[in-house]
Amino acid sequence: MGAGKVRIEVERSIQQSADESSRAIRSLLAGRGIYALNLISSPGSGKTTLIEALLDRFEGKGGVAVVEGDIETEIDAERIRKHGVQVRQINTRSSCHIQPSQLLAVLREMDLSETRLLIVENVGNLVCPAEVPLGEDTRVVLLSVTEGDEKPLKYPLVFRTSGLLVITKTDLLPYVKFDVGKVRRAARAANPAVEIFEVSAVSGAGLPALLDRIESLRASKAG
Amino acid sequence: MANEVLNVVLSEAERHAARKVESVSLRVGVLRAIEPEHLSFLFSHLAHGTLADGATLDIREEPVRVECAACGVSEARSMPWECPRCRGSSITTRGGDSLDIISLEIDV
Repeated sequence: MGAGKVRIEVERSIQQSADESSRAIRSLLAGRGIYALNLISSPGSGKTTLIEALLDRFEGKGGVAVVEGDIETEIDAERIRKHGVQVRQINTRSSCHIQPSQLLAVLREMDLSETRLLIVENVGNLVCPAEVPLGEDTRVVLLSVTEGDEKPLKYPLVFRTSGLLVITKTDLLPYVKFDVGKVRRAARAANPAVEIFEVSAVSGAGLPALLDRIESLRASKAG
Repeated sequence: MANEVLNVVLSEAERHAARKVESVSLRVGVLRAIEPEHLSFLFSHLAHGTLADGATLDIREEPVRVECAACGVSEARSMPWECPRCRGSSITTRGGDSLDIISLEIDV
C-alpha cells in the first residue's frame, strides 16, 4: 500500500544533465585535446566564409576538421572540401539545429587523430541552436551588419551563451543603419565576458585579430 | 526538451520508489524559446504509459535580473537595451535562462 503523497526537492538544471550525446562529445574532444567551436548565426551571415578564413590561417599547422550542418544539400561541405580538409555534412532535414546525437555519430566516423581544432557550423538560425549545447568549448555567434542591430534583444539566449561575437560585413556599414556601439552594449549586457570582433571578409579588416584569438584559444587546450 | 525533462523526472521518481508522479514544478527563464503550453503538451504526450502519465507541469517563469549602475536591481520579461526603470545604459543582466526542475510531487 502506498504511504501517500510526498514532495521531493530536485533543483536540477536540465542543461547540466543534458543529453548523453553532448557529454560523450565533450569527453571524446577532451581525450584528444581537440578544441571545438560551434558557429551560430542567421543564414547568410558569413559562417562558411569565416571557416574558409580559418582554414587559410591554419593551413600547414595541423588538423582542422569541419562539420557542416544544413537542412539540406552538401553545398557547404563541398565548398570546404576544396581547402583539402576533412569535412562532413549533416543534413538535419526537419530539424532546425544539429542534434548532439547527429554530431557524435559523425565524429565517431571521422579520423580525428591529427585534429586540433573542430569547427561545427550549425544550421543558420539564431533560436534552436542556442538551446542545444553540442559539447563545444566556445560558441561563436556571427551577426552581419545587414541584419539590423536589434538581434541581441530579439535572440537573447544565443548572445548570453556565446563567448565570441563576430560582427561581419563591416565594409557595408556606410550603407546600412547599424549601430555597432548599441550592439556592443547589448551584447555586453547579455554576457559581460563576451569578446567582440568586427570583421570584413572583403577588405580583410579585423580578421587577423579574430584568427589570432581563435588560434590562442585552441593552443590553450593543446597538450 | 520535453524528453529531457521527462528523463530527469523518471529517474528521480524511480530513485524515490514513486508509484506515480502527480506534478512537476519547473523554472523556465523568459529568454528561452520555450512556450509553457507546448512544453506541457509534449510532456504529457511523451509521459503516456510511464510513471509520469497524467502528471501536471507547474511552470514558473524566471525573469531577467537587470543590474543598473545608476539605480540598482530590477527585473525584465525580455532582454532590455537600457535599465527599465531609469533608462540608464550601463546595465548587466543575469538569469532568465534557467531550465530547472525544482521539485516533484509523487505517490509512494
